[in-house]
Amino acid sequence: MEMLKLINVTKSFGTNEVLRGVSLSVRRGEIVAVIGPSGSGKSTMLRACVGLERVSGGTIELAGRALVRDGVYVRDREARDICSRTGMVFQHFNLFPHMNVRDNLCLAPVLRGLLDKKAAAERAAELLYKVGLADKADAMPSELSGGQKQRVAIARALMLSPDIMLFDEPTSALDPELTGEVLTVMRGLAADNMTMVIVTHEIAFARDIADRVVFMDGGVIALSGTPAEILEDPPTERLRAFLRTFSRSAQSA
Amino acid sequence: MLLKGIGFTLALFAITIVTSIPLGLGLTFLANSRIKPVSLLTRAYVLVMRGTPLMLQLFFFYFGLPFLPYVGKYLIMDRFPAACLTFALNYAAYFCEIFRGGLMSIDKGQYEAARVLGLSSFQTTFRIVLPQMVKVVLPAVANEAITLVKDTALASAIGISDLMHYTRSLVNSRAEVTPFFFAAVFYLLFTVLLTRLFSRLEEKFKF
Ligand SMILES: Nc1ncnc2c1ncn2[C@@H]1O[C@H](COP(=O)(O)OP(=O)(O)O)[C@@H](O)[C@H]1O
Ligand SMILES: [Mg+2]
Repeated sequence: MEMLKLINVTKSFGTNEVLRGVSLSVRRGEIVAVIGPSGSGKSTMLRACVGLERVSGGTIELAGRALVRDGVYVRDREARDICSRTGMVFQHFNLFPHMNVRDNLCLAPVLRGLLDKKAAAERAAELLYKVGLADKADAMPSELSGGQKQRVAIARALMLSPDIMLFDEPTSALDPELTGEVLTVMRGLAADNMTMVIVTHEIAFARDIADRVVFMDGGVIALSGTPAEILEDPPTERLRAFLRTFSRSAQSA
Repeated sequence: MLLKGIGFTLALFAITIVTSIPLGLGLTFLANSRIKPVSLLTRAYVLVMRGTPLMLQLFFFYFGLPFLPYVGKYLIMDRFPAACLTFALNYAAYFCEIFRGGLMSIDKGQYEAARVLGLSSFQTTFRIVLPQMVKVVLPAVANEAITLVKDTALASAIGISDLMHYTRSLVNSRAEVTPFFFAAVFYLLFTVLLTRLFSRLEEKFKF
């Protein structure tokens, strides 16, 4: 079963065509890593899947339900309902700074009536344990390191038992020594068969964890294949050039 | 007598604060409305209220309104309600401007996270945005409250028997200056008290 399906999705900001016919499908349990140069539309594609950007054309289906079909969106209520089955993790965490970690996790499921307070607190405790932050439930976000914040953000998204998790450069805002703890949590999700789409510049991580790697370039998916096909033996000069910028920065880092 | 004056001063202060803050918040939403005429009208209102003297507005509402053709005779108010109304409308404009600035300082990632978690816009406003805005605007609101303490003295200009009014008449009738000092000490104490109250509030909103 396809958990996420994009067919010929287009999106422009004014005259800037950012997505120029993106098609992608992600099976249940599959892990897709998205790589590509800055400005190629990776974030826009993910954001469109959770309704943060409205696309101009094409179809987006989440777990078999259309959010937009041939450029026509479903009604707002239904759209919200469909999108709320999708977890999203942002580069800058976007924790709610005025609440402690537990309340960050419990707010949405309780307000939406999905869990009562007690059940939510129990679930929060389990998930915090899972991301290695069992002792941080009462901490405020400002007291956490970047890596800890991102792990809280992941736990917060998991509170809603999503069908699929989308990650937009989850480690790009972190100091290098803190990326490992976040990647470890994501490996844990992979072990639980979570369906994931991960936009990342961590090439080694992508090679490890992904079932499939897609290379976005200029608003289209230029290449798609196994990590070996895309990363070990890059078939195009564009991709080779892109990957070289990483090996160079990896060496200098 | 001075105590009675203090009563009016405190009442005007309290009524203005509890009405103008919610009113200012309402204006903030109107000013940010997607319906263009609504937001333009609100911004024009704020511009006028902030751009003209409070004294002029007091005179307008108390002395001026009754002279309006046709509707004037329904707009005759007693002094105190007229003062409360003027102060509330004036301060609401200032608070609107402060709150609008506060809203702009909220990271758009907060709205996006709330939306992705499936919160309604109502829930996002009251659970995510406003608590963070309060923290940002508290210092400016404190300033405004302190200005209001002193602005209440303007009410004596339309004959309200506030502290300023009694102070002046005492000075005149007794030909001595001490009432001025008494009034000064009162305003000063009030201001100091407010400053402490707000710093305690700011302490609570540290996160
Ligand atoms: N809100 C926006 N308004 C206008 N242009 C935007 C907006 N968001 C993204 N863009 C443009 O869309 C293009 C793709 O951006 P993005 O999806 O963020 O790329 P990536 O994540 O691959 O770096 C860029 O040229 C960017 O300037
Ligand atoms: Mg991006």
